[in-house]
Amino acid sequence: MKIVIAGGNQQAEFIISMFKGKENELIVINPSQEVADTLVKRTRVKVYKGLPWRKYVLEETNAYGADVFIALCESDTDNYGACMMAKKVFSVKKTICLVTNPKNVDLYKKLGVDSVISSTYLLAQSIRGESSVESLIKTLSLDNDRVNVVEAVVLSSYEICGKPIKDIHFPRYASIAAIYRNYQIIIPNGLIVLEPKDTLLMVTAPENIKRLLAYVQTERDLTSAPKVFEAAVQVVKQRRAVKEENHEETKADHKAKTSAKKELKAVRRSTKTATKSVAKTAKKK
Amino acid sequence: MRTLTFVIGCGRLGASIANYASQQGQSVVVIDSEKTSFTRLDDSFSGYTIVCDATDLDELRDAGISNAKEVIITTGNDNVNLFLAHVSATILGIPYVYVRFDDPEKGFLIQGLNVKPIYPFQLSWDRFNLLKSGAESK
Repeated sequence: MKIVIAGGNQQAEFIISMFKGKENELIVINPSQEVADTLVKRTRVKVYKGLPWRKYVLEETNAYGADVFIALCESDTDNYGACMMAKKVFSVKKTICLVTNPKNVDLYKKLGVDSVISSTYLLAQSIRGESSVESLIKTLSLDNDRVNVVEAVVLSSYEICGKPIKDIHFPRYASIAAIYRNYQIIIPNGLIVLEPKDTLLMVTAPENIKRLLAYVQTERDLTSAPKVFEAAVQVVKQRRAVKEENHEETKADHKAKTSAKKELKAVRRSTKTATKSVAKTAKKK
Repeated sequence: MRTLTFVIGCGRLGASIANYASQQGQSVVVIDSEKTSFTRLDDSFSGYTIVCDATDLDELRDAGISNAKEVIITTGNDNVNLFLAHVSATILGIPYVYVRFDDPEKGFLIQGLNVKPIYPFQLSWDRFNLLKSGAESK
């Protein structure tokens, strides 16, 4: 591979030591004489002193048709200029640009740099990846957060647990790439039954992660059983209450009826005595 | 509405362009990363001066570059100029983009774009040849 490394200090040194070898042709360019000297001293690689965004520098170093061009200068725009020159004039196959402002990642890509790396951007991504690990979930984003691999562990309480994949209606916006079970990778097919403690590796777009996790972590409806029981108890209680009320009502009715009868009897008696007395008085007369 | 004349980089050239456009009655916005650069503008300059980092697209948008009819890019750094020319012509779609490059070879990188370059080297070279031919013909 023909690799051009433009600018950079420690990063350049590290990358040079990574790719140094017979299989790679390294072209190292650095704008600073001091840095160039230390790079020569430490890595024993030829270093050209020059501005990597100038055409004549790339011409002198014969960067034509290089496989990779890595721009590691301090200024974002200098790296941009160097990458553009390498790409358009020297037809380099892949340009990689280091930036400090994370906002430039998407912008430079839109403008034609193949790969843009920002340490802040990567840091922010990995922090977000770590923080979404709610004990069980890990996410890994690829291609600057356009594709995500989500890892989730199946618990026995989940709805999907114990069912074959063909029966769980797995959402269309994601797919199970692999199942990790007992230190072995299982390539999923419809017949595989998800077991507790399986780790699912799922691929999806970043905007679907929440939906996907919500789907995977749907708890089986264990809670509904006690609820049904409670509901039944409630019904029984209510019925009892109704019965008791009825019972009381009947008691009250009974009382009322008996009292009414008594009254009736009393009235009859009184009328009887009254008629008797009337008859007596009539006889006397 | 795209009505603004946007000058990025208030050096000698940028300030002169801004002064002239202001005199012509256009609404002008001048951007520079240093406030002291605006002392180059005339007292009668009636446009806006904004201190911001032109390499940050968000700051440019806040300054109102989306409403620009023409953008004149004259900062002292060729790579910044190149980047701004690309952004103005492709992402922002500004109809008239003028850019100054000290390095004439930067011209390869704006080929096919709606960007008009100014090369001080080329102008000096042409002027020299003109003067020389004029002197020799006498």
